[in-house]
Amino acid sequence: MRDFLVGLAFLVAGAIVYVVAQGFPTMPSLQYGPSLFPSLIGGGCMIGGLILAIGHVRALKGIGNGMTWRMKREQLRDTLLSLLPALAIVFYILASEWLGAMLCLASIMFVLMLARRTSPLLAFGISIVAALVIDLVFSRYLLIPLPEGLLGVWG
Amino acid sequence: MDAFLQGLALVFNFQTLLVIAAAAIFGVFVGAVPGLTATMAVALLVPITFYMESTPAIAAIVTTSAMAIFAGDIPGTYLNIPGTPASAAYVGESHQLARQGRARETLGTNLVCSVLGGLFGTLVLVFVSPSLAEVALKFSSFEYFWLALLGLSCSIFISIGSKTKAFLSLLVGLLLSTVGLDMMSGAPRFTFGIPDLMAGINFIPVMIGMFALNELMSFYGSSNENRNIPAVHKDKVFSSVPQHIGRYWRNLLRGSSTGTLIGALPGAGADIAAWISYAMGKSRSKNRDAYGTGHIEGIVDASSANNSGISGAWVPALVFGIPGDSITAIVIGVLYMKGMNPGPTIFMEGGGLVYALFTVFFIANLVMLPIGYIAIRSAKVFILTPRKILMPIILCFCIIGAFAINNAITDVWIMLIIGLVAFILARNDFPMAPAILGLVLGGTLENNFMSSMLKSNGDLLSFFSRPISAGLGAMVILIWFLPLFIRLYRRYRGAPQSPRTP
Repeated sequence: MRDFLVGLAFLVAGAIVYVVAQGFPTMPSLQYGPSLFPSLIGGGCMIGGLILAIGHVRALKGIGNGMTWRMKREQLRDTLLSLLPALAIVFYILASEWLGAMLCLASIMFVLMLARRTSPLLAFGISIVAALVIDLVFSRYLLIPLPEGLLGVWG
Repeated sequence: MDAFLQGLALVFNFQTLLVIAAAAIFGVFVGAVPGLTATMAVALLVPITFYMESTPAIAAIVTTSAMAIFAGDIPGTYLNIPGTPASAAYVGESHQLARQGRARETLGTNLVCSVLGGLFGTLVLVFVSPSLAEVALKFSSFEYFWLALLGLSCSIFISIGSKTKAFLSLLVGLLLSTVGLDMMSGAPRFTFGIPDLMAGINFIPVMIGMFALNELMSFYGSSNENRNIPAVHKDKVFSSVPQHIGRYWRNLLRGSSTGTLIGALPGAGADIAAWISYAMGKSRSKNRDAYGTGHIEGIVDASSANNSGISGAWVPALVFGIPGDSITAIVIGVLYMKGMNPGPTIFMEGGGLVYALFTVFFIANLVMLPIGYIAIRSAKVFILTPRKILMPIILCFCIIGAFAINNAITDVWIMLIIGLVAFILARNDFPMAPAILGLVLGGTLENNFMSSMLKSNGDLLSFFSRPISAGLGAMVILIWFLPLFIRLYRRYRGAPQSPRTP
């Protein structure tokens, strides 16, 4: 079933890429314009997606015969947990400007360690030390302008 | 001679040697912690190498990858969990030996075979690549177009599992390579009005997303971390190695040469080299029945193959700019960042740089002996490092590493999006190597096609008008139709379909 859905996703994505590519400007002096490669890639995605979906079309027949496709509770929990690092990155992107890179990183590490049942005291200590080290290496040594946020305001 | 001495001076200085030592320790650590791959180690290293001179930067990558591939054997032997995918082929064998109380002996043999395999691959790199480069000097855009297409085609047909999925994975990489201003017309493509995307997608956030973030998400999506190390036995690390090498020297040579050859094929890395060498060793062994019960012969084949594969992958990367595996794909990006365009001219203009690179390979493989020995003696430390503490720290390195390339938050977004896509694809058994090759070779493919068309006024037949170009074109077409020929041949012979390789 998953392969069928992924195949469909490639089919749709390929169609979008193909349509967008048709809008790229053409130049009379060039026989092959900037739309050639994206169009070929879009076409390839459509064909590949179609082959993948057709190869797993039996999954649809199973649903038609009353078979349901439901995620087990543990599967759902594992899938949600796997999104934790992605959520942490979104948090960093949104909060780092005003909270500062160091505080953001420390909070991310602390929460992620707690999520895997690390003892809170250990998680707190390691998060603070690791955030300080990362900030020192990148901000002071490699001169990357990491946002200082609240720590910069306080001084 | 001057260039050679210049090359030695580039390597034998305090900074480069310190970087090699640090990279070796980092490589051992990442390789020995299950779930962290050699490619991930290199992807994490790239933001740091950005701030180094070219020789220490390349030295760091070469040493880390070689060490990580060996160190992957440590958890494989003790826990039956391969530290890197390259150790997966013979993990059962190593673990069986560990259960017989021969863990250190097994790892000692692994270590020596890895060193010898790596040195063999390096010798091939040193002697073959300059001659190949002389041939490559005659290449024009027509030949480079076919070479890029050959590399991309190989990455699909060599991949394990569904070829349709490998093809789609490749298209994802190619699509990413089209983002930015078109080289010929200057038209923006898939930039969505974001100025940071005008110069194209930087490959470093893509690598970090594809290899590091993807692994992190897989880790948080799985709930078990049961890693009880069995009693560490007191057998000696190197005492039985001469006996094993003396008995299985043919396997060592065969594994090393097979590994180098497979490593040189685009898309096939150390892991495929190990699988194929293990299978070859088994099929030619007199003690075939002993395989799977803890037999050192298979380990000799495969552990020499995975390390020689790393050196082999550098041959096409240096000579043609076509990466042999995911690690050299990253390296090509680093070389471009350092203003060293990989290709035949690197051998002509590079001065001492090429000799420095060769020297680095020898040192990286030789340094494996002492540091590998220490790693085997202190295996417990690496294996029991809790991933629940390590993974959040790695995530923070990923975020800052992606940001540090251009000091732009757009790169963090790119890492996130690519990581999510890679996670979904990897969960559905899509191979990642074709996507990386697509990203790295996409620009080469398109630019050489466009240049060729400009030169020939759009005549597609001109791709077959030069002898080397026509030969390469014929090879590409042969590779495309090979599965069909094999199927027809099998039908003709009436043979049953063979099972897929593992």
